[in-house]
Amino acid sequence: MVVRKKNILKKTGFLLIVLLIVTFSIFPFLQMLSTSLKYQFDWGNPSLIPTKINLEAYKELLNISQTTRNIPDSIKRLLDNPKLSKAQKRAIIKKYEETGNVFPFLKYFRNSFVLSFTASFISLIIAVLGAYSFSRVNYRGRGTIQRGVLFVYMFGGILLLIPLYQMAVKLGLAGTRGGTFFSLLIIYMVQTLPVSLYMLGNYFRTIPFSIEEAALIDGCTRFETIRRIIVPLSLPALATVFIYAFMIAWNEYLFASVFLRAYKNLYTLPIGLKSLFVSKNAIWDRIMAASMLTATPVVILFLLIQKNLVSGLTSGGVKE
Amino acid sequence: MKRTTTLLLVILLVFLASGLLFAKGEQEKKVQPASIEFWTTETQSDRVSTIQALVDIFQGLNPEIKITVVPVDENDMPKQVAASSAAGNLPALAEFGSENAIDFGSSGLLDTSTATKIINSIGKSEFYAGPLKMLESTQSGVYYAMPYHGWIQGLWYRNDWFKDAGLNPPNTWESIEKAAKTFYQPSKNQYGILVGTKAEVYAEQCFTQIAISNKARLFDKNGNLVFNSPQMKEAIQYYAGLANYNPPGPQTWRARDYYIQGKMAMFFYSTYIMDDLALAEVAASSLTGKNFKELKGAQFDPQLVVHTSFAPIITHKQPSSYGVIVALGIFKQEKAANTAAAERFVKYLYGEDAYVTFLHMAPGGMNPVLKKIAASDKFMKDPKGIFEKYGKKKIEEIIAGLESIQRFGIVEGHLITAYGKIFSQQIIPQMIYKITQEKMDVDAAMNWAEGEMKKIVNK
Amino acid sequence: MTIQAKGLKAEEERFGWKLILPAIIIIASLIFYPIGYNVFLSFFDVKLRGPNTYIGITNYRDIITDLAFWHAVWTTFLYVIFTTIGTTLVGLGVALVMVKEFPLRGLVRAIILLPYIAPVISVVFAWQFFFDPVNGIFMHLTYEKFHLFDQRFNLIGSPQNAIIVAIIFNIWKNFPFSYLMILSRLQSIDATQYEAAEIDGASGWQKFWYVTLPEVYFVVGSIVILRVIWNFNKFEEVYLLTDNVKVLSVYTYFKAFTGTMDQGQGAALSVIQFLLLIGFILFYVKRVLKW
Repeated sequence: MVVRKKNILKKTGFLLIVLLIVTFSIFPFLQMLSTSLKYQFDWGNPSLIPTKINLEAYKELLNISQTTRNIPDSIKRLLDNPKLSKAQKRAIIKKYEETGNVFPFLKYFRNSFVLSFTASFISLIIAVLGAYSFSRVNYRGRGTIQRGVLFVYMFGGILLLIPLYQMAVKLGLAGTRGGTFFSLLIIYMVQTLPVSLYMLGNYFRTIPFSIEEAALIDGCTRFETIRRIIVPLSLPALATVFIYAFMIAWNEYLFASVFLRAYKNLYTLPIGLKSLFVSKNAIWDRIMAASMLTATPVVILFLLIQKNLVSGLTSGGVKE
Repeated sequence: MKRTTTLLLVILLVFLASGLLFAKGEQEKKVQPASIEFWTTETQSDRVSTIQALVDIFQGLNPEIKITVVPVDENDMPKQVAASSAAGNLPALAEFGSENAIDFGSSGLLDTSTATKIINSIGKSEFYAGPLKMLESTQSGVYYAMPYHGWIQGLWYRNDWFKDAGLNPPNTWESIEKAAKTFYQPSKNQYGILVGTKAEVYAEQCFTQIAISNKARLFDKNGNLVFNSPQMKEAIQYYAGLANYNPPGPQTWRARDYYIQGKMAMFFYSTYIMDDLALAEVAASSLTGKNFKELKGAQFDPQLVVHTSFAPIITHKQPSSYGVIVALGIFKQEKAANTAAAERFVKYLYGEDAYVTFLHMAPGGMNPVLKKIAASDKFMKDPKGIFEKYGKKKIEEIIAGLESIQRFGIVEGHLITAYGKIFSQQIIPQMIYKITQEKMDVDAAMNWAEGEMKKIVNK
Repeated sequence: MTIQAKGLKAEEERFGWKLILPAIIIIASLIFYPIGYNVFLSFFDVKLRGPNTYIGITNYRDIITDLAFWHAVWTTFLYVIFTTIGTTLVGLGVALVMVKEFPLRGLVRAIILLPYIAPVISVVFAWQFFFDPVNGIFMHLTYEKFHLFDQRFNLIGSPQNAIIVAIIFNIWKNFPFSYLMILSRLQSIDATQYEAAEIDGASGWQKFWYVTLPEVYFVVGSIVILRVIWNFNKFEEVYLLTDNVKVLSVYTYFKAFTGTMDQGQGAALSVIQFLLLIGFILFYVKRVLKW
C-alpha cells in the first residue's frame, strides 16, 4: 500500500516535470498568440486569455475584408469633375480600393518563399551529386573534402558578411535589385549546401550498393543510376533535406538585413518584421500576429518532416 | 561698326519677339507634354496609394502630363538626391523635410524662382509665417521650397489627473517637474512622465525642446560649436532629473502604450499620436463598463481623448517648440516643360480637395500650412472622424504651434550642415543614455559628447 | 593490377571529382575566398565608394586600444560560458526525462523542439514582452505576486544585466539541440547495464553516475565544443533580442554597418574574433579534454 502510494506520488511528480518542460518550451509561443489577440488596453493584463478577442491584426496582415477602402469625401469631390470620363473615374476608384495595407505581409511572404525555395532547390541538386560522390565513389582526397565541408560552420555569418558584401559591391551586384536578389540567392545556397551534402551522404550510404549494381549491369551509366535509382529511393530524405534547407533560408536575418536594406520591395519576412517593429506602425498585437504568421510555415514544415529530420540532425547535419 | 550694331539690334529683336511669344504662350496656358517624377517620403503603402489616386486624377485632367510617384525613405533622401544629381536626372518634384530643403537649396539644386513664384501666386499672407520663414533662402523673399505640411511635438497629459491634483498644465520646467513627481507612484505601477532615455532619435527630439527653452544651443549662427555651455549643462541635469520619473529602464516612444493603458501621466510625442489615441478609444468602447472593472492591470479610460490635453510649448528662459515642416521642392530641370508640369501639379496639390486628401492620410500628423485650409470644415471632417473627437479648438492650437518651431540645426535662419552628422550619429541620445542608464557623471558625458562632435565639425 | 583496372580507377576518380566539383567551386568561392579576402581587407581603409587605401595594421591597433572592444570580449566570454553550460545541463536533464515512457511522449518530444526551429525574429518579441517592466509577466510574478524584489525594474533594458536575458533566451532556444543529441545516445544504452546495476543494489543516483554518465560523456564533450563555436559566433539571437548586449558579433556589426560604416575595422574585428575562437578551442582541447 505504502509502495503504491509512493509510486503514484513519484509518477505525478514525474508528469509535473514533463509539464514544466513543455510549458518552458511553448510559453513564448502562447504569449505571442495571446498578445496578438488582445486589444491595446488589455496588454497589461497578465492573463494569457484576452478579455475580448481582437482579430483585427490578423485581418489586416492577411488582407481579409480590407479590400474595400472607403473613398474619402475629398477624393469624391475631386472626381466630380466633368473633364473626367466615367471610365477614368471607375479605374481610379478601383485602383484606390485595391491597394493599401500597412504591412505588406503577403508580399514579404512571397519574397521569402521564392528566395528560400529557389536557393534550397538548387542547393539540393548540387548536394545530390556531391553526396553521391562522397558515399559511392572512391578517390583520393574524398575524406578531406568531406570533413572540410562541415568545417565551414566554424565561420560565423559575421565573418563572411563583410567580404561577401564587399564582393557584391565590387561586382556591381549590390547596386541593382536583380543583383541583390541574385547575391542573396547564392549566399543562401552556400549556407545550406554543407548540411545538405552531409545529411544526404549519410542517407545514400544506407542504400544497398547491389541495387545500383543491377542497374549498371543493365547498361545504365553511373549518372543515370543517380537519376533512376538513388533519387527515387531517397525521396523522403530529399524532402527532409530540402525542407531543412528551406527553413534555414526562411529564418535567415543577418545577410538579408545588409543586402536588402535599400530594396523595400524585396524584403523577406524577417526583415519586414524587424522594420515593422522599428516603425511607428509598431503595435504589439500587430507585431505578435506577424510573428505568429512568420513562424507558422516553419512549424508546419517541421511537423511534416519531424521524424526524418531528428535522425538527420542527430547524425551530425546541423547548422546554426 | 555699323554692321555690328545692326547685328546686335537684330539679335535683340529676335530675343524680344521670342520673349513675347513665350509670354503669350503662358497666357494661353497651353500645356506642354511632359513626363516627370515625384519623389515622396510617404513610403507606407496606404499613403502611396492615396498619392497615386491624386496623381491619377491629375493625369485625367491633364492628359499631356505623366507623373511617376517614387517613394523614397526620408533617411535616404539626401543620398538619393546626391546620386541622381551626379547622374543628371533629378526629379522635377520632391517632398522632404525643411533641413533637406535648405541643404539642397544652398547647394544650388533647387529651382528657387519657380518655388517663390508659386508661393507668391498663392499669396504669402495665405501661409502661416513660421513655416514659410523656415524655407526662406539667404536672400529675403526668395524661398528654397514650398511648405506643405508639418507636425509638432509637445507634452500630452491627463487633464483629469492634473485637475484632481490641482496642478497647472505642464508648460514650464517647474510645472512639468512637479507633476512628474506627483504622479510617479511606481508601487502602483504608475509613472510620472516619459522622456527618451534610449539612444534613439526620440531622445534627441524630447531633449531639443527642453534645451532650447533654456537657450542652450549646439552652434552659434557662424557654425561654431557652443555645446559646452552652462545652459546646456542645466538642461541636461533637468532632463536627467525628469528621467527619474520615467517607467523603469531605458525608454523610447514605444512606452506611449503605458499612457494609453492609464499608467502614465504625460509623455512627449508628435501630433501623429492623435490617430492612435482615438483609435484605441474606439476599440475599447466596444467593451461594456462591467468588463472594465474586471480588467486586471488595465485602467483604460473610455474617454481618453477628452481627458487628454496637449502642451506644445515649454517655457523656461524662452518659449520653445519642436517640430518638422515638410516641403515640396522643385529641382532645376533642363526642360522647361518639366518645370511647368511640376508647377501645375503643385498648384493642384494646394487646391482645397487635393490638399485635404493629402493631409487626411495622417490626421494630426500632417497639418496644413495654409490658413484657409486649417479653418475649413472639409479639413475638420476626416474620414476616420478623428478631428471631431478632439474638437476644432485643439486642432487650431496644434496648427498654431507650427509657427514657432525651433531646431538645433537652424540658427537664426542659417543651416548648420555639421548638425546633420551629429544627428545621424545620435551623439546626444548616446550621451543621455550614458547619464541616465549607465549613471555617468554629467560633466564626463558632456566632455565625451563634445569630443565626438568636434571630430565631426573638424573633419 | 591490370591496365584496364587502372583505367577504371582513374575514370572513377574523375567521375567522383566531376560530381563534387560544383559544390567545391561554390563553397570555395563563397566561403574560403571571402575569408581570405576578409583578411586582406582588414589591412585597408575600406571606402564605400572609391578605391581602398592600404593602412597596414592600423585597424588592428585601433581595435585593441579601444576599451569598448575589450568589453565586448569579456561580454562574449560570459555569454559563451553560461549559454554553453546552460544548454548542456538543461538538454541533459530534459533528455533524462524524455527517455522514460509516458503518455503522449511522441507529441511532447516534437513540441519541445519548437524553440530550436522557429525563426529567431518571430520569438524575440514575445521575450521582450515578458521582461517589459510595466506590463510583462516577469515583473508581475516576481514583484507583484511573490515580492522577490522591492521595485519594478527593466531587466532587458539594463546595460549591466540584459546579458542575463540574452543567456536565458539562448538556453531556451538551443537546449533542444543538446537534448536531441543526448537523447539519441541515451536510447542506445543497453538496458542490461541498468539491470546489472540494480542487482548490485545501486540507487537511482548511482545508476546515473556509474552507468548513464560514462555513456553520454563523449556526446556531451562534443556538444560542448559545438555550442562554444556556435554561441561564440551568435549574432541574431543577441542583436534582435536586445541592443545593449554587445558581444563581438554585434560589436562588429555596429562598427561595419551603422554610423560611419568602417568595414576595414569590421574585417579586422572578425579576423580577431576568429583567432580568439581558435585559441579558445585549442585551450579547451588541450586542458579540458586533455587530448
